[in-house]
Amino acid sequence: MNRGGEILDSFPIDLFLEIFSRLPSKSIARFRCVSNQWRSMLHRPYLTELYLTRSWARPRLLFALRRGKDLSFFSSPQNLHKSKDAGPVVFNPRTRQYASLPKLETHGSVERISMLGFDPIDKQFKVLTVSADPDLDCNDRHRILTLETGEMCWRKIQCPLWHYSWPGEGICINGVLYYLAKGDTSDLIVCFDVRSEKYKFIEVEKWFYYATLINYKGKLGGFRQKYDGDGNTLELHMWFLEDVEKQDWSKNVYALPANELVDWTCVSVVGVTAAGEFVLSMDHIYKFRPFYIFYFGPEKNSLQQVEIRGFEKYYGEVYYQSRHRVLAYVNYVEDLSFNDAKYLKPSQCLNIIRKAALLHL
Amino acid sequence: MSKSEKKIVLKSLDNEAFEVEKAVALQSQTIWVMCEDKCVGNEIPLENVTGQILAKVIDYCKKHAVVDGDGDESSEELKNWDTEFTKNMDQSTLFNMILAANYLNIKSLLNLTCQAVADKTKTIDEFHTFLNIENNFTPEEEAQICQENLWAFDD
Repeated sequence: MNRGGEILDSFPIDLFLEIFSRLPSKSIARFRCVSNQWRSMLHRPYLTELYLTRSWARPRLLFALRRGKDLSFFSSPQNLHKSKDAGPVVFNPRTRQYASLPKLETHGSVERISMLGFDPIDKQFKVLTVSADPDLDCNDRHRILTLETGEMCWRKIQCPLWHYSWPGEGICINGVLYYLAKGDTSDLIVCFDVRSEKYKFIEVEKWFYYATLINYKGKLGGFRQKYDGDGNTLELHMWFLEDVEKQDWSKNVYALPANELVDWTCVSVVGVTAAGEFVLSMDHIYKFRPFYIFYFGPEKNSLQQVEIRGFEKYYGEVYYQSRHRVLAYVNYVEDLSFNDAKYLKPSQCLNIIRKAALLHL
Repeated sequence: MSKSEKKIVLKSLDNEAFEVEKAVALQSQTIWVMCEDKCVGNEIPLENVTGQILAKVIDYCKKHAVVDGDGDESSEELKNWDTEFTKNMDQSTLFNMILAANYLNIKSLLNLTCQAVADKTKTIDEFHTFLNIENNFTPEEEAQICQENLWAFDD
């Protein structure tokens, strides 16, 4: 029978990579520290691609609990970390590495809205920031920064149309960052091409401004929720953009029946799975009440609830303590190349408080 | 098709012969191509697989073959069978199974065995000892590499 050492000599590298693509990304990082040969093998672009493909095949939910400036991330209930951040940072919850962005000169106390966009061609992240100050001059309102090794700096960027944005969330789909804004005369969806850094605008009806933007099978979509008086039934109004150029919207309304587990007014749509199921998450965690995620299948009108455990420690210890807001993200996948990004620093200085961590190599 | 044409003989590296149903053997793309090319008779020499490993591969193929009137195994049952199949194999056998599945080009077996190795790789040390890997970093390199991958050791 072959000894391991002999097998290693005759074992094709692509078969090793087949095995490694099935391990947690943490194990890959550890195996890189084994020897020079392994280090270069585990840095091959082929592995990064294979790993991403596998990760896409089994996307997960990512939760962030927010209370004030505290953020706790969960990708599965076993892994939890708590960080107190001091300023604007980009954070990789998997590796707990971060990049702190240079400060922007601000005018008074006016907030800036920052959004993270990704250019899939050059595989680059960029942060776009827009001032929420409606009085600020148009040329001064928009700044962009590329996440890269070396000194990062904000660049001025020209936007052809005056608009301002509420603190909401932008969404990046196939290299275009979408966010809701108010223009001079109408409400808008701003479409910002991350690679070319060019703007396009879509005029929308007033109600849309309060919608949640989502990625609907690779297309831009929006949800609004309507309740009856007592929170028993929930109406989901869903729009998605068939064609950006023609601004061709499809609209559907779905009614979710009363459910004894939940008051629908405390639940938000957080995304759509690849199979087209809508994912709804409870907005807060409550003491003595289980936490649920709901999957709604619009075609069969099916509703499935999944209890998520592991948040118990995050109930407010004292009754008057403010509650944790739950931010849930669907289709969370892992890309090794982002774990290796050189512009991210290990996060000891972020004051990580680890309540519990399971080694699951 | 006569009875003899439905059977095929696989010969291992160490000259062990296995007579199997053609439908069982044809799950291997490699054997399928050999048969298509008609460049072999009824006996197919497999130069990269030992008899010990080939016997296991044939077990797998028999279970997964859809033979006349025998294809009603539920996918759940098959899955359980797969788990049992790899459960008691040691790392060395598993690596040889991967090589065989790759050479014979049986995609599902390759998936199963790669996943089994990944699942059994609980610690670096286990893998390390098994593969007899030498740490050839200089102390400076090692310090730098550990720094780069610090997050993975932070438990």
